[in-house]
Amino acid sequence: MIEDAAFERYVIPEIEVLLRVAGSLTRNHAEAEDLVQDTLIRAYRGIDRFDGRYPRAWLLTILRNTHINRNRRRRPALLRESDMASDRLATAAADDRTDGFVDDGFDAEILRALGALDELFRRVVELVDIDGLTYAEAAAVLGVPVGTIMSRLHRARTRIRDRLDRAGLSPRSHM
Amino acid sequence: MTRWMMTLLGRTPPGRLDCHQVAERLQHYLDGHIDAKRARRIAAHLEECRRCGMEAETYERVKATLAAHRSNVPATSIDRLRQFAERLARGDEPLTT
Repeated sequence: MIEDAAFERYVIPEIEVLLRVAGSLTRNHAEAEDLVQDTLIRAYRGIDRFDGRYPRAWLLTILRNTHINRNRRRRPALLRESDMASDRLATAAADDRTDGFVDDGFDAEILRALGALDELFRRVVELVDIDGLTYAEAAAVLGVPVGTIMSRLHRARTRIRDRLDRAGLSPRSHM
Repeated sequence: MTRWMMTLLGRTPPGRLDCHQVAERLQHYLDGHIDAKRARRIAAHLEECRRCGMEAETYERVKATLAAHRSNVPATSIDRLRQFAERLARGDEPLTT
């Protein structure tokens, strides 16, 4: 069937990205897999209405809506984003995958600056700078316009940069 | 007025971007969300302006540091979901969530 070919062409190659973003949304590996599985089912149901443009953004919108629907059926405690954010930061802090050029003090200060951001701003930085999504893809995950992603990202990075300046860790703080 | 005189007087020559214009577009430039013509003009400014060059360097290091924390998705999870998707496409899975 044509729908099956479209599903294999557009959906299956995006499973890794879906899993990564689902991990960011749920902070739980098993839940992330379940979320992607439900997303795949919804995508299969809707593939005949998909026009073939921007499959990743289309799938991320489905992922977001599936995540919201799943959470409506769950305990509100699971939705506490501050807990989820601190989990991610703890994971990041424990992660020792640092490139040779990245200074430990610089690295740690950035993570502290990220942790100090309001949730709205931190989410955008996580999706774009950590998960590697484009502005449009991050907009699909968060359900906001691309312009909102751009302005939040700009403000968030400026705050991180200001913190590095105050800590004397940015190149320009030595000017 | 010649280009070098304008630069000496702190004015931006025609076709060049000033620091304020570069600051407004810098993050889009570093994210690759800008057209090639503007990208060339920003790159030219960053080559010449030490202050903006350092600003760009800071943001590039921030981006590189954050990208280093990208989580690895287990291959077993990808395989399991890929197999699930293939079963869906063959009609071997129920379409209920």
